[in-house]
Amino acid sequence: MKAWQKGSLVVALLVLVGVPWYGSDVLVQFGISTLLLAVLAQGWNIIGGYTGYASFGNSVFYGLGSYGVAIAMVQWHLPFGVGMGFGVVLAVVFAVLLGIPVLRLKGHYFAIATLALSQVMAAIVSNIPLAGQNIGLVLPPLNNDRLFYELSLGLLVVATLTIFWLTRSRFGFGLIAIRENEEGAAVMGVNTTLYKVMAFALSGIFSALAGGIHAYWITFLDPDSAFDISLNVKMIIMAVFGGAGTVLGPIVGAVSLSAISEFLSSEVTSIAGLFFGIVIVAAVVLMPRGLADMFRRFRKTGWRYFSENIRAHKL
Amino acid sequence: MTALLEVRHATRRFAGLVAVSDVSFTLAPGEILGLIGPNGAGKTTLISLISGTLAPSEGEVLFEGKSITHQPAFRRARLGIGRTFQIMRPFPGLSVLDNVAVGALFGHGGGQAQLAKAREQARSSLEFVGLGKFIDQRADELGGPGRKRLELAKALAMQPKVLLCDEVMAGLNHVEIDEVIDVIRKVRDQGISILVIEHVIKAIKSLSDRLLVLHHGVKIADGTSDEVLANPTVVQAYLGKKRT
Repeated sequence: MKAWQKGSLVVALLVLVGVPWYGSDVLVQFGISTLLLAVLAQGWNIIGGYTGYASFGNSVFYGLGSYGVAIAMVQWHLPFGVGMGFGVVLAVVFAVLLGIPVLRLKGHYFAIATLALSQVMAAIVSNIPLAGQNIGLVLPPLNNDRLFYELSLGLLVVATLTIFWLTRSRFGFGLIAIRENEEGAAVMGVNTTLYKVMAFALSGIFSALAGGIHAYWITFLDPDSAFDISLNVKMIIMAVFGGAGTVLGPIVGAVSLSAISEFLSSEVTSIAGLFFGIVIVAAVVLMPRGLADMFRRFRKTGWRYFSENIRAHKL
Repeated sequence: MTALLEVRHATRRFAGLVAVSDVSFTLAPGEILGLIGPNGAGKTTLISLISGTLAPSEGEVLFEGKSITHQPAFRRARLGIGRTFQIMRPFPGLSVLDNVAVGALFGHGGGQAQLAKAREQARSSLEFVGLGKFIDQRADELGGPGRKRLELAKALAMQPKVLLCDEVMAGLNHVEIDEVIDVIRKVRDQGISILVIEHVIKAIKSLSDRLLVLHHGVKIADGTSDEVLANPTVVQAYLGKKRT
């Protein structure tokens, strides 16, 4: 990375850190939800972008993280930090127990199998008294958006650094090899099962932490909002739009799409509902490898970039 | 001398089809063993049984005297078994260098933990097979012959004890075949045992110390190349029966 790139990253980070001190309440709230979405997109990036397994199960980790915090704080009167730890433990256990069978499936089959997981979890949790059944749990309110903002930002930084480490570590190369060709990876000595489960768990840890922060911030939790499949769809769109399998792509995707979506829902409400649908179609047809790839290649190929992508789809 | 690799009575069935039937053979350290046979004879299946991408229905595979029959593919790779694929399995989105670096990062003995060192090792494997100029290209930008060499470089970067080559010369022209033969000889000179599947009889004859012939999954000959190629059963498998 060149010096000016490093410099501008540091400046951007400082600007972001300072938002709660100079930004309006609305901006800070938008910031918290966007940062959490960016964390989710980065988490998905590990299993979906780097390992090549399009997971629809990440909203389960998010839900487990939320419930970890809620159960610890409401039922057991433990501090928030312990709740976060509990959520992470739940997510890792889930990743290992379900990852081992589910990660044997590939491609669409894996996606469909994980798609069912969040429905199942919502049904299970609504029957557990400890988790407040259908009614949900109300957490003790903490009116400190500044704290939630900085926590979310910190988590995003950690998630991004983790992904940066992936791009230059043995573990990350193993994951990329699995994505590019799983059988080829295995005969070169990559323990594919272990690596896939570890990637699933790592991805789950970040989703769970984001869920935990979100639960404490919103102070209310029920099964349907915790295990929400549309949240999973959102994180995939954001990661893919920005560039799955890149370090900064998912952040760019999360911030740009959140901003546009926020603007539309306040200005042109009728289009807002269609927005993510349109983005999926346009992104898949015009720039299937995301914004990051588009910026890199656009300079060379110009507008042909889009026509080539359209042709590649054999439309 | 004890065998480095031994296959005992290996059989592999795909539903009703017996692709490999009761095949036994050994590979000595430093030996080049040619594996030939008509299309569909079970050559690739046999290599897959050794590399662990397929499990045998019956029989055993031994490496350095120990059974590896139930070991997964990645463990066998770490023990020192490297293979190439006839239908190439490059990592298309990665650079040529990083494709090979994966072999150095994992591979025999668990590989190299440091990326910089692994890339260095990868670079020397690529230069060894003659791809030194293409290291920065994406693997899917390589042509057919380049990909064949890439398969070889990936397997070599694992620093294996045994190299299983599945038709690394198919689709190459004469000059390229000679170059690959040269590379394989040099690999053997480093003390690596090689099992090589090939259709080009001239190439395999000059290359191998010994030939093994499969036909319909059954081993029909095993011996020096002159012996084997003069064997009437082998001639018949390739050319059919002479009309009398």
